[in-house]
Amino acid sequence: MPAVLYQSEHSEQSEIGVQLFGQVLVNGVLLGGLYGLMALGMGLVWGVLRIVNLAHGAIIMLGGYTVYYLYTGAGVDIWLALPLTMAIMFCFGYVLQRYLLNLIIRSAMLNTLLITFGLNVVFVYMAQLAFSADYRTINPPFAGNNFEVLGITVPVVQFGAFVIALGLAAALWLVLERSTLGRAIRATAQNLTAARLYGVNPKSIYAVTFGIGTALAGVSGGLFGMVSQVSPYMGLTLTAKSFVVAILGGLDNPLGVILGGLVLGIAEAMTALYLGPTYTDVISFGLLVLILVARPAVLLEKA
Amino acid sequence: MSAEEQTIFAARDLSKRFRGLTALSGINFQLKRGEVLGLIGPNGAGKTTLISLISGTLAPSDGELHFEGQRIDHMPAYQRAQLGIGRTFQVMKPFPGLSALENVTVAALFGTAGGEHNRKKAREQAREWLEFTGLGHRADQSAEALGGPDRKRLELAKALALKPKLLLLDEVMAGLNAVEVQEVVGLILKIRDTGVTILVIEHVIKAIRALADRLLVLHHGQQIAEGNPHEVLSQPNVIEAYLGRRR
Amino acid sequence: MRVRVVLLLLFLALLAALPWIGSDTVIQFGINTLLLATLAQGWNMIGGFTGYPSFGNSVFYGLGTYGTAIAMSNYGLPFPVGLACGAGLGVVCAVIFGLPILRLRGPYFAIATLGLSAVMAAIVSNLNIAGNNIGLILPLFRGDALFYELALGVLVLATLTVFWLSKSRFGAGLVAIRENEDAAAVMGINTTLYKVCALAISAFFSALVGGIHAYWITFIDPSSAFDASLNVKMVIMAVFGGPGTVFGPIVGTFILSAISEVLASSVSTVASLFFGIVIVLAVVFMPKGLVDLVAGFRRSGVRYFIENMRRYRI
Repeated sequence: MPAVLYQSEHSEQSEIGVQLFGQVLVNGVLLGGLYGLMALGMGLVWGVLRIVNLAHGAIIMLGGYTVYYLYTGAGVDIWLALPLTMAIMFCFGYVLQRYLLNLIIRSAMLNTLLITFGLNVVFVYMAQLAFSADYRTINPPFAGNNFEVLGITVPVVQFGAFVIALGLAAALWLVLERSTLGRAIRATAQNLTAARLYGVNPKSIYAVTFGIGTALAGVSGGLFGMVSQVSPYMGLTLTAKSFVVAILGGLDNPLGVILGGLVLGIAEAMTALYLGPTYTDVISFGLLVLILVARPAVLLEKA
Repeated sequence: MSAEEQTIFAARDLSKRFRGLTALSGINFQLKRGEVLGLIGPNGAGKTTLISLISGTLAPSDGELHFEGQRIDHMPAYQRAQLGIGRTFQVMKPFPGLSALENVTVAALFGTAGGEHNRKKAREQAREWLEFTGLGHRADQSAEALGGPDRKRLELAKALALKPKLLLLDEVMAGLNAVEVQEVVGLILKIRDTGVTILVIEHVIKAIRALADRLLVLHHGQQIAEGNPHEVLSQPNVIEAYLGRRR
Repeated sequence: MRVRVVLLLLFLALLAALPWIGSDTVIQFGINTLLLATLAQGWNMIGGFTGYPSFGNSVFYGLGTYGTAIAMSNYGLPFPVGLACGAGLGVVCAVIFGLPILRLRGPYFAIATLGLSAVMAAIVSNLNIAGNNIGLILPLFRGDALFYELALGVLVLATLTVFWLSKSRFGAGLVAIRENEDAAAVMGINTTLYKVCALAISAFFSALVGGIHAYWITFIDPSSAFDASLNVKMVIMAVFGGPGTVFGPIVGTFILSAISEVLASSVSTVASLFFGIVIVLAVVFMPKGLVDLVAGFRRSGVRYFIENMRRYRI
């Protein structure tokens, strides 16, 4: 972000300042919505399964590639590719949880951290082998379009991603609060033994929950590929950002997580504007550490 | 010993509130050195909360706690243990990955006056405490693998290995059959005979009668009766507190 | 028992003799592995014994690197003094950061330390771009053999410290904290003091390694000094070998380093892939580490695996 602010005349400065500020703010909000979507899956899996998934970013990446190959490779319509990716990623996550992660889920948290770390390495390198390290973009037909609101340029793709993010968060909330499945998931999260007594099969509930998380992560990867790019290594920073957002949002509260995403998106945008783009990581992680240290009571319950 | 020296513990105007819920209010009582005080009352009366306030697991909202002449209400739990206050937990807290012997050894290493610093000696003492509570033959079993009654014995052995001057027992007899209850009562009396002051929370009335020199009754966080077990247990308000619960 | 001690001493003597037996490449590999093993042992103290898995020891490593480098290149102090400065810096920061962060339990502590190491790496890379301290050059010392022996010595010191933990009252307190922190507090253990001390000792060794490494490679720059990937390496080495044991981290480091080295000579991408698979399989089949696996397998054979899996799965 160039420091145009400081070079203009004073009278023009405030005008440009406000507009630039507004543009950056809007960008931050739109990106923040996408961050929120990315973190939804991580928060859900963390809150319900107590799994901190270090491979989360890699799953986002895999989702991005799935959309890419469906759309760019197989010519599937973009509005079909996204839900199709969700379905594919759901199955992938289900299998992963059911036949691998369920095996170690009752051991120490450190072990789930390590196994997901291992999975992350595997996914990233397999992606590199399969897809090469080139950056790919997903270019739907409406890719370059913008519309203007109050002098602020809003790219259609970003806006679309934002709307989809909100929609999916709302859908997740509905599922968790109002559906039978959601009740089963929440029951399992709170009290496994009691849930079993009510006929819930924890193996499949865990697998379904993880599958939902993967599906959400996957579609967010596809959207990210439209807004930015996909590459095998994109996952690392996205995992970190999802952490921050998930913790800010209170883990398995979908609306909170979206809000958390917005906070991060805005914080990053403002940091880039006033301090420079290289400081965004400092702010994201600094925020993470501060939140953890300042809100221990809330998090202790979930530990 | 003067009357003051005989009082090992005192609670004055003690209360505890949790975000709008008053768990305890206006608790006032003293403990004489070497006596056994029974703490009874229906579920939810605040008995475990009171023990947690004494041991330091919780901090009081109001009031004072005195132990051996010192004010302890804002002292952290570990310091109170070093002063000589030991407790068992209703929801037991063993060290799951360690054996029974290692569990008790930790207690022997720390505890009153900093415990026994030599690890070997501490282990020997631990073995003795396990024998005392009847767990000698299970010394090397993992704490996790122990069954219900044995876990209770382990909790007791750990509390004892702290060499406490004041021992707080939280429902150590829950889930035990009549024979086991008798055994534990015998154990507690043995402990009392070594000069330890004991505060016992118990629902098993027969056990309380056998153990307690005095009774303190809690209901809805308040003290409703105190005194001689026989008298207290025949007081109408005490009976009502228990029978009323069954409505 | 005595046989074991003799074997151990023989092995140690063999290790010490390496600089005169092996080629330059082997010696360099040796130095790196020994330093990494010390990092793993340092992690073992806070992660394995105390149950607080730190993903932020890279911060102390980096502080040790820079503390030593600045003392030596800017102030011309001799190496031992520089090393002491670096180590001291690491310990002081461990206490400062430790006090607030050690209040967090389990994964939250891990994530907070991860965040901390990421913040440090990010801050430091910004300083890099800003033109300050692009790097420091330390005085040159020729003689890999000496660095090798020094690294070996530090590893021995770290292992002796861990051995002491396994036998001392302090160590028993740390284990109690790991097993059940609330119960430990109620038993008279000053948990805050113990945790901070454990972190400080762990930081001491991390910083020591950083300082030695700095002097060895003579050129340091911020991004490699505060390299966050070190965190994962030391954790994996320690956990693979056996957290909470005396020799586990050493075994883990030696084996995994050897494997990784052998694979690096073939296709490097496949090496990483293999590494990832090893980790996944290790967590499933040997969640308590290699040392426990060996002991457990001796005791109960294949049942060891079955018992573990039954215990940890849903």
